[in-house]
Parts: sequence; structure tokens; C-alpha cells
Amino acid sequence: MILEMKNIVKTFGPVQALKDVSFTAGRGEIHGLLGENGAGKTTLMNVLAGSFAPDSGSIVIDGSPVEGMTPRKAASLKIRFIHQELNLCNDLCVYQNMFLGEEYCAQGWKIDKKREVQHAQRVLDSMNSGILATTVVGELDTSQKQMVEIARALLFSSELIIMDEPTTALNNQEIMKLFTIMEKLKHQGVTFIYISHKMPELFHICDKYTVLRDGVFIQSGDIKDIDEHKATELLVGKRFVQAHIKDGIQAVITDEVVLKATALQGKSFRDISFSLHPGEIVVCTGLQGSGTDELATSLFGATQLHQGSIETKGGPLNLKDIRSVMRSGIAMIPRNRKERGIVPDLNIRTNKSLAFLVAKHTSFLVDQKREHARFEKSRKRMNIRVSSDRDPITSLSGGNQQKVILSRWLEIDADVYIMDNPTQGIDVGAKFAIYKLVVELAAEGKAVLVFTSEFPEIQQLADRCIVLYKGEVAAHLSRSEISEVAIMEYSTGTHKGSLQ
Amino acid sequence: MKCLAMKNIDWKERWRNITTNYSHWLSFILLMVVAIIVSPAFLSWNNLTNLFVQGAVVGICAMGMSLIISAGMIDLSVGSSVALLSGLGVMVLNATHSLALTVLFCMGGGLIVGLVNGLLVTKGRIAPFIVTLATMSAWRSVINQLGQGGPFTVNEAMYASFRNIAAGRLFGIPHLMIFFIVISFITAMLMSKTKFGTYVYAVGSNQQAARLSGINVNRVKTLIFVYAGALYGLAAFLLASRLTSIQAASAGSGYEMDAIAAVAIGGTSMDGGRGKILGTFLGVLMLRIINTVLIMANVPPFLNGLVTGVIIIVAVLAQSTKKGR
Repeated sequence: MILEMKNIVKTFGPVQALKDVSFTAGRGEIHGLLGENGAGKTTLMNVLAGSFAPDSGSIVIDGSPVEGMTPRKAASLKIRFIHQELNLCNDLCVYQNMFLGEEYCAQGWKIDKKREVQHAQRVLDSMNSGILATTVVGELDTSQKQMVEIARALLFSSELIIMDEPTTALNNQEIMKLFTIMEKLKHQGVTFIYISHKMPELFHICDKYTVLRDGVFIQSGDIKDIDEHKATELLVGKRFVQAHIKDGIQAVITDEVVLKATALQGKSFRDISFSLHPGEIVVCTGLQGSGTDELATSLFGATQLHQGSIETKGGPLNLKDIRSVMRSGIAMIPRNRKERGIVPDLNIRTNKSLAFLVAKHTSFLVDQKREHARFEKSRKRMNIRVSSDRDPITSLSGGNQQKVILSRWLEIDADVYIMDNPTQGIDVGAKFAIYKLVVELAAEGKAVLVFTSEFPEIQQLADRCIVLYKGEVAAHLSRSEISEVAIMEYSTGTHKGSLQ
Repeated sequence: MKCLAMKNIDWKERWRNITTNYSHWLSFILLMVVAIIVSPAFLSWNNLTNLFVQGAVVGICAMGMSLIISAGMIDLSVGSSVALLSGLGVMVLNATHSLALTVLFCMGGGLIVGLVNGLLVTKGRIAPFIVTLATMSAWRSVINQLGQGGPFTVNEAMYASFRNIAAGRLFGIPHLMIFFIVISFITAMLMSKTKFGTYVYAVGSNQQAARLSGINVNRVKTLIFVYAGALYGLAAFLLASRLTSIQAASAGSGYEMDAIAAVAIGGTSMDGGRGKILGTFLGVLMLRIINTVLIMANVPPFLNGLVTGVIIIVAVLAQSTKKGR
């Protein structure tokens, strides 16, 4: 298949996710699609697979334009999209999942189980997967599920297979197995579009590459013409860096330790140790799937740690009970405000008060006058724009909602602030207000641990930076060592050597 | 022209505000008007207090149900719990001849019944629908076994004083009406003035965010069932006093449905997060008004359920269109 995507534009509300992007892939090639989080890779592929309709632009396949692409049309054109997150029904068998929606039927109505099992098993065996087609999917581990997803794409002779970060859950041996299969199919003429953050993989398997940045096409070519370092530079670009917030406000970092994490291990990370000091801002970064998400919630007791301990000034933390973590002087602003932050049915005032009510409020009754007075204090400090604090929280803009959530935690006056992507999905003005607040908190002698993958944010804030790659600490950078290229290299495993 | 258009929008906005926030009052008034048109005698003191008297026992249960639904859960075991506690209550009364011990027993037993539901939901991680379906079946079976087909009847010795609790009046106001109003008031205060009330709505609205704010979601859920259980106990005590003879097989049957209906008509979101105790209070009365109007209008009693069903659907439909705006 020869694929051409021409001048694709796609906007979501005010956000322009794809700005006039063109993309070409030829028959029997593995094409690496590179870009940072939010660069538009997945959006572009969703347009190709018919999940999103583009605002403008065209898709041409083997010379003939395709109008109004839908998932069904994409399937009939033999295009398969293997999504990053697994789309399997855990209660069905492997073969049922593989044939879902495209069952073999006998006499037009009865599922031909025998034929399905045979076909599915043939594909699974050709991958050396060691998975039985009649196993219930729920009994498989994550890497096996990933293999089933891939097997599903191989089931019908696809001509174009899109893989979005397919190796997140796989170990090196399994990755090599996957690559062997891909090579084999490539020689049969199948085209792959391979989205990944991991440089060693991209350089191992891909023939061509295309780089996107901020929804714009940057460069395309043969992968043998560039190296990992060059690729990282293309990914990152040269960005205008704004004036420094940190310069204006001085914080004194002391030697005291307010939080000490030792050999932490969870589902997606292992062997992570660090300590935090008063007045210090530490940024923890990593690309999707590097373990940062789970690490953030584990530090707060919201996700269970498998191993390791966390100590504060008051001794080891009791991570079983979030309230006792809060009372030990730790606050966490969760990522994903809509899902984890706001309580949509409560008003602004109550939303802001929740943590205070839990950790500090002593009487049974809630005095609304005092609640209002406390809100006024937060409103002034954070410059939250509201008409009345009894309005629903959902009436506020994203930035103001986030300021309310931050105020929720400022009120409990913690020693350590863990902020998980605190500026996710808010406008630039609100972002800067939040940076300023973080710097002020450090100046007050708080320790702040920020989880983020946005480089400007790291540069604005970090005294130190911890970079994770595949669940392990890839680098521990001091402020002078922090550069966008360095961070991107460590988070893509550039210095980790080849795959074998 | 422009000015006029703006005024129009403002007016629409206001009207929407009123229908959103006061829907329970609107439907209550509407029903009252219908009732008065059907029979002016509806407004007599006797008839009005009668609404409260008939609604009180289910109404007290509905207060507990309000909390449960506001937190995004459900309880099907109301009727069986009331039957169990009232049957046992009569046994305790007959054995001890003490009103105080009986009411303590009923409410204490209610606490335990609620605790069982709560722990199975939180520690056992079983859906509230299933847990309470099971306890509904279990409690009914226990009380049937204890009753062996016969009723639990209050002894001669305690008959008059026990019956007076439900049947008596204070300054012309029926005791049951006072009980219902006081419990509703306490529940309304609990939900609007205390931390606990805030936690209940937070858990029902966004459990994840509530947990990450440090709220102990499991404890809140358990306490909700415990509070509701205590109210079922009080309701059981009043029911026993009102009837003085409890039929194990039929006592309290259908209470769960009436309680859920009252909460739904009152404007509490079935998804949790938003609830109105005053709405539930009016909801209980509305169910009684519908009943009374149908009798006064000589509608065949078998059709009572049909009309109630239609009104529940209309009330909840009105809510869901509001949410979709």
C-alpha cells in the first residue's frame, strides 16, 4: 500500500492539534513516527484510521483519494490500528477477542468456533507467542495481552498496521520477538507506522522516519541518515525560553531532609530512591509509560507500593491511610483535574475546603462564614476569578479550577508538595501563575516535587531533575546539567545502548 | 431589539434556575393544586395531618435512603430490615415491658443491620445492589422463621402505652408527624451543616477525587448505611406501635420501593452527588397526596401503582433533561 496524507488540519475546540501535516509511507516499509507527548502523532493516526474526521486535508491510498474515512472503511482498506491502551474484553477467550465483530459464521448465523480457534492459533503460533487461543484473556499478563492485540491485527491480511507505543509492557526479549514478526511481514509487503518514544527501538526497526512537533510536520527521511542525537534535536526544536521566574524570588535550600524515599518499587517502576529538602524544587520527568504516573500516586499512598519505604521528619509514613499521609505534612495535587481533582456536584467553596476539612478541621459542624473567609484568603493569594464561591466549580475555566484545587492543598500547610502535572490543559497565563506559586512555596521553605513532561516547565522550576526511563532512574540532573536535549536523550533511552 | 433579546435570555436563565433548584417545590405545589381541585376537603387539618401520619414510617426510611442514593449507592433491604426489627422489637417489649429498652433495641439493631450492609459493600467489595438484595432476602427469612406464620402481637399489659406512641397527639399534632419532621430536620442539618454531609456528596459525585482529598471513602459509605439502619430501627419501632401486631411475611413490604420513589421524585440524582433532603421530604408527601387524590377521585385502587409509576418516570425524566443542558 502506498499511503499519502496531504495537508491534514485538525482542531479540538481552540487547540490546533494538527497544522497542515503531510505524511507519506510506501509499500513494505517500517515508518517511525516521532514526536513529544502532544505533538500530534496519535491524532494523525486517528485521522488515518477514521476515528477523527479531519477539518481539512485528504487521504490518498494507492493513488485514489478516500473520502469520509470511518473505522469500518479503514478496516476494509486493510488498515489496522493497534492502540496504546489495550482494547480487549477480559472475560472473553483470546480467539473471541481476535474475531470480535468479524466472526466466521457457519450457515450465516452460527459462530464457527472451530475455524476461529484454528485460524487464531495459527497466527499466535507464527508469532511464537506461546498463547493458547482458547485462554481467557483475563488470565494473560500485560505483555501477552499486547501480543494478542498484535495477533488481532495480523489475523486478516492487513496492508498497513499502525502501532502506537506497542512495546510499553514488553521486555527486551519480547520486543525482539515482535520485531522478527514485523520484519517478516515487511518482506511480504506490509507497511508499518511505528509510534514510539524509545530511540533504540526506532533505530533498530525503522526504515524511514517522520518527525512532528506541536502539530507541525518537521522532517522526514531515511533513518540511516540521522542518529539518535540528531533525532532528539529534531523532536525538541529550538524553543523560545521565557524570562525566569526563579531569578526574582530567592529560596534557601537547607540540608535537612523532609522526605526520604528508599528503593521504591511499584507495578511500573523499581529501585527509586531520592530525598527532598526544604526550599527545593525537584522535577521528576519521563515519557508516557516510564512509571512517573504511578510513582506520583504511590508517594501519597493512593497506589500501593510493592516495596520500599518513605520517611518524613516524623518517621516512616503510614501509606495505608491517605489522611495520615496528609497529617504527616504531605500534599498531592493530582493529575487529570476532571477525573481526580474536581468534585463536579459541589460548589467552589466546598471543593476548595475538602482537604482542610479532612486534615485540619476539628469540629463536627461546618461554619459557612468561616469557610467563606478562608476562601477569600485563597482567592486573593491565587487570584482566582469567581463571581460567587457558591457557584458550581464547573462554571470556572480550567485555569481557575486548577487554582481552586491548588488552594485546596495550600490550606493544609504541608512541608512537601507533590504536584502531578499541575498545569495540564490550562492556558499560558494560568500556567505562569502556577509556576510563580511553586517558586514562592519553595521560598517559604517547602519542598516541591513536580511531575511533568513539559520542558519549559522543567526549565522554569527545577533545582534538580530526576529522569525516568522504563521505570528506572535514567539520570539525576543538577540545574546546570538540565537541557532539553539531555532530558530527551535520557527519557528516550539514548544512552542505554542497543537492544540486545 | 438587542435589549429585548438580552432580557429574554435573562428571563429564560432565571426560569431554568428555578426549575433546576426548586423542581421539588414546583411539582409539590402542582400536585396540591390538583388535589384541591379534585376535592376542596383535601385542605382540612385532619386530612393534611393524615398525609404525615401515613407517610411517617416510610418517610423516616426514605431519609436514610436519601443519603445512600446521594453517595451513589442503593438499598433494597429497607422493608425486610423494618420487618425484622419491628418483629424482634415486639418480642423485646413483651419480655421487658420497657418502652425505652425497646426503642434502644430497635435502633441498636438497626445500627447492626446497617453495619452488615456497609461492611459487605466496603470490605467485601460487593455492589450495594447485590449486598442489599441478599440481606433483603435474609432478614425476611429470619423473621418468618421466628414468627412461624403467626403475627408478633403486643401484650395486653403494654398495649395502651405502646400504642400511644404512634397514635397519640401533642397539642393536636400527631406524634408520627412530629417524628417525621424532626428526623427530616436532623438529616437535613447533617447533610448541609456537617463535614459528614459534604463527604457523602463528594463520594457520590467523584469518588476518585474524594479519595485523593483524603476522605476515607469506605468509612463514609459504612457510616451512611449505619445511619440509615438506625432510622430503619426507629421506623420499625413506630410501625410496631402503630399496628401493635406485626405480620412477619408482609410487614414493611414495598418500603424500599416507596423510599426510592420518594427520593427520586424529590430531585435527588440517581447517579449520586446531588441530593435534597427537603426534596425527599416533599417526595414522601407527594406519594401520599397522589394516593389520596386517586381515592377521592374514585380511581380503582388497582390503578394506584400505574399512576405512581408514571409520575416517578416523569419526575426523573425532568431531571435528566436538566442535566443534559
